[in-house]
Amino acid sequence: MKFLNLSGFIGCALGVALGVGFSGTAHSANFIIGEHTPLSGKLARVGTGSHRGIVTGIKVLNDMYKGKHTFELKTIDDESSPAKAVSAVEKLASEHVVAFSGGYASGVIGPASEAANKAHIPYITFGGVATALSQRGHEGFFRINSAAGYGKAVIGLVEEMGVKSISVVYSNKEATLKMAKYVEKKLTEDGLKISMHEYDSHVQDYKSIVNKIKLRDRPEAIVMIGYESEYVGILRAAKLLKPNVKAMIGVWSLATGKMAKEFPDLMENVYGTAMLPFPVTFTSPKQKLFYDAFKSNFEGEPSYLEQFGYVQTRLLGEAIVRANDKGQLNLKGISDELRKTDEETISGRVRFDEHGDNPEFVQRVGQHQKGKIPLVWPASAKTGEKVFPGTPWN
Amino acid sequence: MELTAQAIFTGVLMGGFYGLVAVGLSLVFGTMKVINLAHGELVLLAAYIAYAVESQTGINPLLALPIAMVIVVGVSLLTFYLTNGIAKDKELNSLILTFGLGIVLTNGLLMVFSADIYSTQTAWFMEGVVVADTLFSMRGEIVAFVVGICALGALYWWLNHTWHGRAIRSVSSNREAAKLMGMNPTKAELWSWGVAGVLATLAGVMLYVISVIHPPIGHGLTIKAFIITVLAGMGSIPGVLIGALMIGVIEGLTTTFFQSSLAGLSSMTLFLLVLLIMPSGLFGKKAGH
Repeated sequence: MKFLNLSGFIGCALGVALGVGFSGTAHSANFIIGEHTPLSGKLARVGTGSHRGIVTGIKVLNDMYKGKHTFELKTIDDESSPAKAVSAVEKLASEHVVAFSGGYASGVIGPASEAANKAHIPYITFGGVATALSQRGHEGFFRINSAAGYGKAVIGLVEEMGVKSISVVYSNKEATLKMAKYVEKKLTEDGLKISMHEYDSHVQDYKSIVNKIKLRDRPEAIVMIGYESEYVGILRAAKLLKPNVKAMIGVWSLATGKMAKEFPDLMENVYGTAMLPFPVTFTSPKQKLFYDAFKSNFEGEPSYLEQFGYVQTRLLGEAIVRANDKGQLNLKGISDELRKTDEETISGRVRFDEHGDNPEFVQRVGQHQKGKIPLVWPASAKTGEKVFPGTPWN
Repeated sequence: MELTAQAIFTGVLMGGFYGLVAVGLSLVFGTMKVINLAHGELVLLAAYIAYAVESQTGINPLLALPIAMVIVVGVSLLTFYLTNGIAKDKELNSLILTFGLGIVLTNGLLMVFSADIYSTQTAWFMEGVVVADTLFSMRGEIVAFVVGICALGALYWWLNHTWHGRAIRSVSSNREAAKLMGMNPTKAELWSWGVAGVLATLAGVMLYVISVIHPPIGHGLTIKAFIITVLAGMGSIPGVLIGALMIGVIEGLTTTFFQSSLAGLSSMTLFLLVLLIMPSGLFGKKAGH
């Protein structure tokens, strides 16, 4: 009898302890957030940036809720592989994470968020902009950006330039391909002459593509939709062949301090989407909170990757606490709280529609100018005037 | 016409570089029947050493060759000792071993150099060269092509006109017979791995001056080198050159007249067609001869 009493007591104690941790009472709790991200493989650079932002978000959450709740991050390197991302999500789900923050590339995020949905765990990301991701009817899928936001920025800039013909050079990966098709559709509707050039990420030499653009297309501007190493290849080929264009425009991963520092001769006058100018000055309290937390953990300057990773994690953490306070620490509770989010963050306004997308997301455009990157579009966010016409060779 | 000429010119230049990447793999494959799946990572290691030397000292990356050679040849010889220690099913187990080594090297580079992309800061390599008013290339590409052709020529001469070279060929041809003739096959194999390391170093430094490096690209280089090696015929140096030029030109023409994303498909189609007609590759010996 004594034994039974003791075991009953231990059982109750365990039950209470687990309840505080996972089932969501208003008491002090430790929330485990799961992250799968490419820390190695083809996407290691962007994955590392995203991870640093998420770590910064966790630090800020722990500071915010000090003495009340704690946040813990469990990270698994998905090696840029969809299969490994799914395994990571399943493993983290078995370790009782309350939500996922992370993932990069639509092709990886698709199956990984599917696995999270099956495990009834919410999933927030900024790393995949394919439209289909948010059209699957997943209650717990959220992202703070969208392809349309990047597309709107590129189209807005092109319209402002007043050019009549464009050549689009794009990678055949899912997100870049869809972005290219979006840009093609919108600019064709605007009456521009568009020529499309798809490439594979294994291409070593871009001269043949740029030569085709120079001799056949003769556009007024070139839009590049790809990733860092590919931009460098295209810009090198363009600098060599000197097509008679007025502007070289890229999408993500181009208007960054890193590119300005590593490839100054290739970047001059090149446009790319950016949330903040470079060098950035974090002046508002929200920006300073992020910057100080980032610098306490990492060297160097944060890019848009760190900013997005931070914003999504902080918003998720706040939603988790609200859901926990209501005794609803589950997929529905956290998702409901995330849907109530409407905040002006360091990456712009964030609110989520019925699909989990952020309809307020609009990127800005920066231009490399003598080692700096002022924002040149839209007019409301301008920190400098664009140099137009202007290319790295002219 | 201008487009075709540029496509062929670009393809030939790339072919010279591909040949340089592939010939080290081909040499080891010919001697030991070992496919070194870490070969691309050895090339990449040399490229990163060139980057480290250039970024730390500001000197021309070509001057990093001696340091890179010592390290890469060292890693190549280590790979030899590991594969040579395999007692059973050497051909299969060496595949697994070298694949694993490739992963270790890739992740080692990732840890040391981060996932950032790098390329030479020496402007001289990036400056344009215009041939006959219509053909464009960077100086670095011309240098890489010349180094590739010279390295393949030197290797061909070395294999045919030196004692060590002949020893490697004889071991490659018939290991047991070479042993009966008083040769030490292990020594010949050691030489071939050492020379493969030298060739990987040259390819790596050239890669750094013509392209952008980041940790995951080693595997793609190995695949390209493997295709060229099989296309060439086992251990054939002229075959490597011809095969590499064919791959380079077909990729250039496909990119120009169709789509760049079909370049890989067209080179694989060429590869399969050649193997269908000549199962031993362009310069391989027929079975039974």
